[in-house]
Amino acid sequence: MRQAGFLALTLLAVTASACPAFADNISGNTSGQSSLAPVPVFAEEAQSAGINHIYDGAWEFFVGGGTAIFDCDGDRRPDLFLAGGKNPAQLFRNASPTAGPLKFEPVDTGLSDRQSANVLGAYPLDFNNDDVLDLVLLRLGENLLLEGKGSCRFDVTNRALAFDGGREWTTAFSATFEPDLEFPTLAFGNYVDRSAPGSPWGTCHDNFLFRPETTGDGDVSYSEATRLSPGYCSLSMLFTDWNRSGEPALRISNDRQYYRGGEEQLWAVPPGRPPRPYRKADGWQHLKIWGMGIASIDLDVDGFPEYALTSMGDTKLQKLAEDSDETVPVYQDIAFDLRVTAHRPYAGEDLKPSTGWHSEFQDVNNDGLWDLYIAKGNVEAMPDFAAYDPDNLLLGQWDGRFTEAGSEAGIGLDRRGRGAGLADFNADGLLDIVVVNRGAPASLFRNLGQGTAEHPKPLGNWLAVDIRQPGKPNRRAVGAKISVRTGTRSMVKDVQIGAGHASGQSGFVHFGLGVAERANVRIKWPDGDWSHAYRVFANGHVIIDRGAEKARLWYPE
Amino acid sequence: MIHTFRPAGTPIALALFLATAVPAPVFADPDPQPWSERAIREDVDITALAASGEDPISVLQPLGERLFSARFTTLDGAGRPDATGAIVPTKARRRSHLPFQRLAGMDANACASCHNEPVVGGAGAFTANVFVSEGFESADFDTIDPQFSNERNTNAIQGAGLIELLAREMTADLRRQRQDVLAKARANGKTAKTKLVSKGISFGSLTADPDGTLDVSGLDGIDDDLTLRPFSQKGVFASLRQFTVNAMNAHHGMQARERFGSTWTGTDDFDDDGHTDELTPGHISALVAWQATLPAPTRKQDLPDIWQDAAQAGETLFGEIGCSACHIPELPLESLVFHDPGPYDTAGTLRQSDVVSPLALDLGTLDWVKALPRDDQGRVLVPLFGDLKRHKIADAANDTFGNELLAQRFVARDVFMTAELWGIGSTAPYGHRGDLTTLNEVILAHGGEATASRKAYSDLEEQDRQSVIAFLRSLEIAE
Repeated sequence: MRQAGFLALTLLAVTASACPAFADNISGNTSGQSSLAPVPVFAEEAQSAGINHIYDGAWEFFVGGGTAIFDCDGDRRPDLFLAGGKNPAQLFRNASPTAGPLKFEPVDTGLSDRQSANVLGAYPLDFNNDDVLDLVLLRLGENLLLEGKGSCRFDVTNRALAFDGGREWTTAFSATFEPDLEFPTLAFGNYVDRSAPGSPWGTCHDNFLFRPETTGDGDVSYSEATRLSPGYCSLSMLFTDWNRSGEPALRISNDRQYYRGGEEQLWAVPPGRPPRPYRKADGWQHLKIWGMGIASIDLDVDGFPEYALTSMGDTKLQKLAEDSDETVPVYQDIAFDLRVTAHRPYAGEDLKPSTGWHSEFQDVNNDGLWDLYIAKGNVEAMPDFAAYDPDNLLLGQWDGRFTEAGSEAGIGLDRRGRGAGLADFNADGLLDIVVVNRGAPASLFRNLGQGTAEHPKPLGNWLAVDIRQPGKPNRRAVGAKISVRTGTRSMVKDVQIGAGHASGQSGFVHFGLGVAERANVRIKWPDGDWSHAYRVFANGHVIIDRGAEKARLWYPE
Repeated sequence: MIHTFRPAGTPIALALFLATAVPAPVFADPDPQPWSERAIREDVDITALAASGEDPISVLQPLGERLFSARFTTLDGAGRPDATGAIVPTKARRRSHLPFQRLAGMDANACASCHNEPVVGGAGAFTANVFVSEGFESADFDTIDPQFSNERNTNAIQGAGLIELLAREMTADLRRQRQDVLAKARANGKTAKTKLVSKGISFGSLTADPDGTLDVSGLDGIDDDLTLRPFSQKGVFASLRQFTVNAMNAHHGMQARERFGSTWTGTDDFDDDGHTDELTPGHISALVAWQATLPAPTRKQDLPDIWQDAAQAGETLFGEIGCSACHIPELPLESLVFHDPGPYDTAGTLRQSDVVSPLALDLGTLDWVKALPRDDQGRVLVPLFGDLKRHKIADAANDTFGNELLAQRFVARDVFMTAELWGIGSTAPYGHRGDLTTLNEVILAHGGEATASRKAYSDLEEQDRQSVIAFLRSLEIAE
C-alpha cells in the first residue's frame, strides 16, 4: 500500500515558500493566469453514451485502469476497450453520429470471464502484420495477446505464438519494430513481486522483453523472454528514439514507493544484441519519482523529444540538456519554467500534493500548440495527498508555456483518474477524452469546442493523419514520424505503442492547425526514409500510404 | 442605425492610460478632431445588425466604401513592423526599416490606390502590380529580390458578390455528389466512381471505397477538399472575407482581429505597432458588403453600328472557336442572398459558427441585379464569361503564362483560374502580370489546355480576329 510521501511534501513546502508564483497558485489556476489560448468546453456523456464501466478491486488494482482506443471493426472510427480490475474488461463499439453526442455499444470480445478479469491495461497494435489491430492485455496474472479477427472479435493467441503470459503483476507495455525484424518486439513492465520475501518493499519484479522469431511458415513466435533486470516497479514504458539515431531505446518510469535503490530507467536496445541500461557513466542521471505515466512530444521540434513524467507531487518535463548530445542522455527539468508541474489541485481547498497518472500531449483546441492532459486521483485514501484531485488540462500558450484550464473546460470531476486517452470519437475534429477512474464510473468527455452540447462549435482548423505501409511488415508504421508544416511552423508526432498509464491507442493522429487552411505533411518512415510532401487541406482525415503520390481522404458517414 | 463610433486599434499606451486613470465609461472616446488623420472612424456591431432586421446592405455598404478608399495611417495601425504579409500569422525574422516596400509590403495604404480603373473597385495598371508570395518562405520575403515572388496585376472586383455566390452553390453541389458516391460505395460494399459536374462544368472524378476512403487523384481544376475557391488569379481564396483579411494585412499592415487577434496568436497586437485589434469583424463585414454589392460589369450600350456588328459576329466566333468552353458566357445562380460570414470559411476568417446568425445581404434588392436576365427556372444568369475552374494554361511551345517562378498555395505555376472576361474591355493591360498590352496578344499567349482555341483564333482571317476583339472590347465596367 502506498504511504504518504513525506519527503515530497517537505520538498514541495520548501519549493512553495521559495517560489511566490507557486504560493499564489494554491487554488484555481496553477499558473495564476487565464489561458489566452481558447479553452474548449467538455460535456461528460459516459452514461448517455452507454459507457457503464467501473475499474475497481483490491490493492493490486490501485494502479492500472487503462484503456485501449482503436478501430476494432474496420470502420476507421475509434472503439474503446476498458480495463476493469476485479470487474470484467469491456469493449465498446463506437456508434457516435458524426459531430453528434457520443454513443457506444458494448460488444462481446469473445474472451472468457476468467480472461476478461484482472485486466489492468491494454495496448492495441498489429503484431501479426495482417492489418487488423490486435490487442495486448496487461493483467494481474497471465498477460494475453489477442489476435484481432475483425468485427471486434478476438482470439487469444498466447499458445499459437508460444508466448508465456507469465504470472506477474503487469502494469506497463511498449512495442517497437526493430530494424530488419518483420514483427514487433514487445516489452512488458511489471510491478511488485508479491511472492518475494519482504514484499512489497524492495521487491519489484523484473521487466521482460520479447523479441519476435519468424517461424518456418512465416508466422511470428514469442517463445523467449529477455529479462530487463533490475526492474523497479514500472508503471509506464515507451520505446522512443530519444537521440534521433533511428534505434529506439526503452524509457521506463518507475514507482519509488516500492523500489530500493531504483531510479528512472533508459535501456538501449541494440538490434540483435542484449538490451543494456544506461548508467551514470553513460550520462544517465539518477532520478527518483513516483513515476506513473510517460507522455512524449517534441515541443521545440529539434528532433529530440521531450518527456512529461507524472508522479505524486510535481510532474516532470524533461528536455535533453544543452550540454548533452546524441550519445549522452542528460536531461534537464523544464516543468517549472513551462508551468506544467501541476503539483497540487487547481481547484478546491485541498492544498496537499496531487497524484498524477496517465499523461498525453494532444491539441484539444486545435490552435497548433500542444496541450498536456494529466489524469489525477488519490491512490485510494492516502491522507497526505489531495483527496479531490481533478484531472489537468494544461493548454499550450504562444509563449511556449502552459496554463491550466481544467475547471473552465469542465473536466474537473471528483473522481480518481487512472488511465485515459484523447481521441476524436465523433469525427468532428475535436478531441474527446475518456478517463478510467478507480472505484467510480469511467468518464467520457465530449469536446464541444466553443459551443454547447446542443450546438458545438469548432475551434481552430485541424488535420487527422493515418499512415500505412501497404504490403510491408509493420503496416501501421510504428516508429514513423509525421511532420506537419503550416507557414514557418512545424509540428511532429511519432507513431508509437506505449507510454501513458496502462493505456494506448492506434488510429488517426491528430494535429491542430490554428488558422492555417492547408498543410504540407511529410512522413519519416520507420526505416528512416522521408516521403515527399503531401499537400492537404485542413479539417479532414487523410490517409497516406507509403509510396502513394497523393493522400487518400476519409469521410465518416 | 447601428453605427457605433469606437476607435479601432486603440494605441496600447492610450488603452493603458484609460484603463488605469479614467473611469470605465470614458472608454467611449471623444470624436476625433475634424482634421484627424485617422482613417477609421466608425465600427459596426454585426451581431446587433444581424438581429435588428435592418437591411445590412444599407448599413454596411457606405462604411465599406469609405474603408475601401480610406488611406490608412499609422494612427489606424497601418504597417506591420513585426509581421510578414503571410496569410498565416507569421512574425518577421527582423524588423524592416522600410514601412513601405513594393515587394514584401506593406505596399499600399488604400485598397483604392490599386483597384481604381476605371472606377474604384476596378483593376489596376502595371504600375499597380503586386508581388505575391506565401509570405513565410524565402527569408520572410523581406528581400527586394523579385525572384521570391510572383508579380500580379490588380484584379477588378466588380461582380464579386455573384461570383462568390456561384462558387458557394457549386461547392455545395460538388460536396453533395461526394456524399452520394460515398454513400453508394458504403451501401453496395464496392468501389464507386462518379464524375463531378456542377452548373455544367466538369471537375473530374471521385472514386469512393466502401470504408469511406476517397481517391481524389481524378479531380480536375479544383482543390481536393472540393471547396471552390474563386478568388485571385490562381483561384485560391474561398471568399471575399478571407481575401479581405489576407489583403488588409499583406498590403496595408492592417490586421483583422478574427485572424491576428489574441485567440489565434496570443496577442492583440501581433504586428507590434502599438495598435490592438486594428480591424474588427464589423470593419471586415463592411468591406465585404461593399465589394459583394459592386455592380457587375456590363456591355457597352452606345456602340456605333460598325462596332456593334463586329461585336455580334465576334461573340459568335468566340463560341465557335472554343473560347466559350472555359470562358462560359453565363452561369445560373439559384439564390441571391449573400450570407456573411459565408459557409465555407475556416478558422482565421470569421465563420458562421462564430456568430449568432450571419448577416443576410439580399443582392436581389439591388437594381443592377434586377436587370440581369433570368432563365426559365427563374435563376439569375451571371454573365461572367468564366467557369470558376483552374486550367493549365501554358506549355513548352507557348510559355507566356508559365512565367511565374513559384507555385502558390498548392497550385502549379502554369495553372490559373479561368479569368472572368466580363469587364475585360476596361481592364487593360492583360494577363496575370498585366504585361500584355492588347487583347490579341493575350489571346495568342494561351497555351496548355487552351491551345486548340488559340490556334483556331490565330487561323481566323484578320477581320474575324478583329471581330473577336470588338466583342471583348464591348465588355466593360461601367463608369
